[in-house]
Amino acid sequence: MVVLSAARWVRSRLSDRFWRVQEVLKYARHFRGRKNRCYKLAVRSIRRAFVKSTKARREKKRFLRALWITRIEAASLEHGLKYPAFISNLVKSQVELNRKVLADLAIYEPKTFKSLAALAQRRRQEGFLAALGDGKEPEGIFSRIVHHH
Amino acid sequence: RYVRQLQRLQLLFSPTAADARGARQFVEEAAQDFARQHPDVVLYVSPHSGPGPAPVLRAEYLNGTVRDELVASKTSEEIVQLATKLANQSGLDIIRIRKPFHTDNPSVQGQWHPLTNKPSILTVQGPRLQPQ
Repeated sequence: MVVLSAARWVRSRLSDRFWRVQEVLKYARHFRGRKNRCYKLAVRSIRRAFVKSTKARREKKRFLRALWITRIEAASLEHGLKYPAFISNLVKSQVELNRKVLADLAIYEPKTFKSLAALAQRRRQEGFLAALGDGKEPEGIFSRIVHHH
Repeated sequence: RYVRQLQRLQLLFSPTAADARGARQFVEEAAQDFARQHPDVVLYVSPHSGPGPAPVLRAEYLNGTVRDELVASKTSEEIVQLATKLANQSGLDIIRIRKPFHTDNPSVQGQWHPLTNKPSILTVQGPRLQPQ
């Protein structure tokens, strides 16, 4: 007798439920409390954890930029400059270093950062002289913008 | 010169099990071509008779990592693709890399410490002068 379909009262039962549960619980092993052991609580916590980690990727960029700015501010205050003055004068001297690189220089290359701070200070003084002295041309060399074509 | 990081590939399967059909077809048709195309990888084919564990493709790398890939209910072409993928990998574990760069000497001028920008009178100890 050829049987093409199983009888209606025969139902298939799950045999690998353990592994299906484990591959979900492995993401909750470092949680606190019962949600690192119990599947029902873990499923909710894991979903929230993943959603939060996705959304936090946008926040991470803002957070790191704020951290760099804090560090550059601290380093430039050591050399007697405030952060807005430092950054604006660096930009006016056509030094296009971003905040990440400036923070790393301030930590690992303090002499380079000191020379950058001195450059920004000199440009600041030249800017004041150009604005207040009302000369035809600013005296300093750092105020002259070089145009590359 | 390029050194392939994959040392050996071991295909463990049972000659009678139903889900090892793709593995058997791979051994009959494509295993020789694969071995000829990748001369620096050793391909072992080990059939174990009787009902045993699921058919698996085990890859061992030069740094000691062993990676098992299930080939149960896979066609011969899929197994070939899997084998080429494993052959092009290195044995490093597949986790998120925190930073794409690494230095052993991050600081050339000396790392900043709270006394770098202070006057040197605070740190330098001059010669001890004898009282005259």
